[in-house]
Amino acid sequence: MPNVMTSQDKTERIKLKAYRALVVGGLLLVIAGALSIPFVYESQTLWYKIGLDKTFLRGGQMIGLLAAVLLFVQILLAARGKFLKELFGIAALMRWHRTNGIVISFLAVSHALLILVPEGITNLPIGKKYWPEMVGMLLLCIVVAMAVSSHFREKLRLNYKRWRAIHKLLGYLVIMFLAVHVLFVSESFEQIVPRAALLIFFAGVVISIILSKKTK
Amino acid sequence: MKRLSFLTMALVGLVLTGQTATATVRDWQLDTVHSNFYFRISHIYSIVNGQFNDFTGEIKFDPKNLAESRFYFEIKTDSIDTNNAKRDKHLQSGDFFDSGTFPPMIFESVKITDAGNNVYEVLGKFTVKGETYDLTLPLTLAGVKNHPAAQDKEVIGFNGEVTIDRLAYKVGTGKFHEMGLVGKDVEILVTLEALSDK
Repeated sequence: MPNVMTSQDKTERIKLKAYRALVVGGLLLVIAGALSIPFVYESQTLWYKIGLDKTFLRGGQMIGLLAAVLLFVQILLAARGKFLKELFGIAALMRWHRTNGIVISFLAVSHALLILVPEGITNLPIGKKYWPEMVGMLLLCIVVAMAVSSHFREKLRLNYKRWRAIHKLLGYLVIMFLAVHVLFVSESFEQIVPRAALLIFFAGVVISIILSKKTK
Repeated sequence: MKRLSFLTMALVGLVLTGQTATATVRDWQLDTVHSNFYFRISHIYSIVNGQFNDFTGEIKFDPKNLAESRFYFEIKTDSIDTNNAKRDKHLQSGDFFDSGTFPPMIFESVKITDAGNNVYEVLGKFTVKGETYDLTLPLTLAGVKNHPAAQDKEVIGFNGEVTIDRLAYKVGTGKFHEMGLVGKDVEILVTLEALSDK
């Protein structure tokens, strides 16, 4: 007997597609908003950069913000809440989580290089007064370590349970460090709209994690 | 034999005289907590103040023996402090001091002359970003006295002001000056206290 799709199934499929499009569209909107911050809420640091230095710095800021958005998404993918599971399925979420982790690492390294090159690689922001930058450096190390240890877990012979526990803990730490780094490193986030957007996004991620744990 | 004895005595006398002359030039230990190299520079309409937090120095000073007196300062450019971390980092970059490539600024006196009224013109070699320039630093001897808080010490003080064109020392290329952002004339206040055992 051939599979006949009922009108209810069709409605469900359309609904699913619509929700998926909404989620992807929403994400693209958030990314667009984040990437506009270095232009609309330009930091004073950019005013004192000319030519290629300005391009590098602005580019570095944009890449950093993209990495930040993807990091928040990464946590949502890892949390695998009921809503996302129903929309995309666990296999897709896990696959995207793995790929996203690699992408975030590359973006984070690129962000650091583009930000540091205009000031000089021999002029690294190390010291108490550069604490937001140093939080960023710590964040970079953790993100890269997480990506490497995940990608090469079997080759490194890391016990799965132990690796997973550490990976989860580091994931939560990364989000906290990220919020602190972004809030305090850039003058752009001293302004109301970007600051509020970051805090709302951060709160949204935290709430999603809590809800996803409750519905498991 | 007599000539030899005479020569020997003359030589000994010369050495002793030299030692006596050197001994009158007092060594003063720079009190870095109560000394600094402050600077002021204009930014559009305002004035930005700053200082250097890491420096060392040697002071040998005797107003009666200026020939043997000496001022030597080594200032770490990466210790620049204008009360803004991002600005400080920019000042350390290639746009200004290039601290990574040229860590210290050095001033070494060559000749000190008494200009009267306790003012001493200290002509020296000023090395910035690897290049050495002549610079005269006028220092006013504020005084010498027993240290009010340390009974076994004496304290000497100097204050001096000089205005320099930072572009002449290649601290900046002039692009920010042309934009009307940052001035080129830097007012420097050198204020020194140094200690010596009584």
